[in-house]
Amino acid sequence: MSQRTFQAMLGRMVVDLEFRRCVREQGDAALDADLTPLERERLLAAAADRGMDATRMVHKDFRLSKLYYMLPLTRFLLGSERLSREVSAFWSRNLPVSHYFIQESIDFCEHLQRRLLSGGLRVKYLREIVAYERAELELKLPRPGNDAPPPPQLVHFRYDPTILFTQLTQRRRPRAVPRLDCALRATLNPDDGQIQWQLHEGHPDAKAKAPSKAAPRTRKAKALRAHR
Amino acid sequence: MNRPPPVPKLGIGLLYQEQLRPFIERERDCFDFLELIPDVMWADMGYEQSPRFVENQEGIGFIRRVHAEMPVILHSIGFSIGSAHRFDREHIEQIARWYDWLKFPWHSDHLAFMFAEHMDGEINAGVTLPLPYDEESLDLLAPRIAEMRARVPVPFLLENNVYFFKYAGQDFDEPTFLNRLCQMSGSRLLLDLHNLYTNCRNHSTDPYEFLDQLDLRNVLEIHVAGGLEMEGFYFDAHSGISPPEVWQLLEWTLPRCPNLGGVTFEMLGSWFVDVGTEGLRAQLSRMKEAWLRHKPAPQATPTTVVATATTAEAHA
Repeated sequence: MSQRTFQAMLGRMVVDLEFRRCVREQGDAALDADLTPLERERLLAAAADRGMDATRMVHKDFRLSKLYYMLPLTRFLLGSERLSREVSAFWSRNLPVSHYFIQESIDFCEHLQRRLLSGGLRVKYLREIVAYERAELELKLPRPGNDAPPPPQLVHFRYDPTILFTQLTQRRRPRAVPRLDCALRATLNPDDGQIQWQLHEGHPDAKAKAPSKAAPRTRKAKALRAHR
Repeated sequence: MNRPPPVPKLGIGLLYQEQLRPFIERERDCFDFLELIPDVMWADMGYEQSPRFVENQEGIGFIRRVHAEMPVILHSIGFSIGSAHRFDREHIEQIARWYDWLKFPWHSDHLAFMFAEHMDGEINAGVTLPLPYDEESLDLLAPRIAEMRARVPVPFLLENNVYFFKYAGQDFDEPTFLNRLCQMSGSRLLLDLHNLYTNCRNHSTDPYEFLDQLDLRNVLEIHVAGGLEMEGFYFDAHSGISPPEVWQLLEWTLPRCPNLGGVTFEMLGSWFVDVGTEGLRAQLSRMKEAWLRHKPAPQATPTTVVATATTAEAHA
């Protein structure tokens, strides 16, 4: 039984910096009662060992790589300092549970969207970019037992997405992107697994309310394709 | 000891990474088998979830095409055989299903735990955490290995782990633990020479002493890789080609592993940009030369390890 507890304590020390600090500062008192003296000795030694820093580095690299890989535009817009701050806040409330990248990346998008909504995070264009990258992930999310294609994702933009994505594709921080109320609609092609985006001018709500109006002009968003 | 029949001498393997697909398709002459972390071909919906594994059909299609031309060996990461709080029989069943179509001559996993209990659920540390080299760990592992071997009828290999800290008061040193594990459970070894190099470099120990003590008859596969130094530690980062010390270890070890089936190169796909097609080809070609030079014998002979010299220079 104590083997389970030992592993739980060790694993927690790797993923939870605060817990490791408690073990270092409080010693035995921070550990569960259900441990042998040798297990206690090993945990206390591990908490103080520089090797635990290296182990945590590997853990962080594994976890951060998910977000780097899945949310390239979001991380570019955030910049390294803000990304680091937001990731720390996100990790403090969300423990790692899986090998898999998509759900954790969606959860991080959710965190950012809440922060944007509350005004705690202010980065121009980030609202659009997070929603855009999240939509792609939602479409790619495994849907066990459901062969039907996932429902389309609609992302509302307040700025011209073609110009915005062109600038991002050129690895430039977006500047002076003209305002444009529009929506991007994403669908998953079940045959090749590719996501297709279409740009619709006009606010999605307005279109929904007035479908008989002239059909929204749809054009191929070359910049969108180019950035992917 | 119950020794299974020898595995085929496959030669040189390359670990699958999505970014390497063009290389895998164009450069088949450079390697003899593909090694695959099967967990990248499915989404694991979580322990005891139903359905548990949602497979990536597009990726599997690619593997099928490769498999038509060469063996595909599984090297799993999601089993977490050392997790004390649960034994993942669903993972064994999944490997068994993949054996049905891939018919790999052996398969492997990591001698470690990644998942640990946390409150009502579990956490994934995302790093292979070391098990203490104790009798208690042997007792945990042996029946699990037995179940895997009973369900998947080919040798099951465990890989020596990287660790950045050592447990105090262990019952065994690492090679003795590995020898006993093989003896008790019938498992075999995937000897990762880069992991060994990483541990020895970080803990200032001699890899050849380790190899002298290890029963190399149990080694059916070898891994080589590259790594990098950061913050005073050397990491098994799979970041490019192998360092000279790992080549020396390979040259020393190859002729001493009578039951070896293959040597595999591991590199993260994101490093392919730096290494390039020529660099990867050169790495694999050098491995092949070493493999052919030593022409591993087809059947087990008593280990030829001699426990005399102890430094890398003496063995090189």
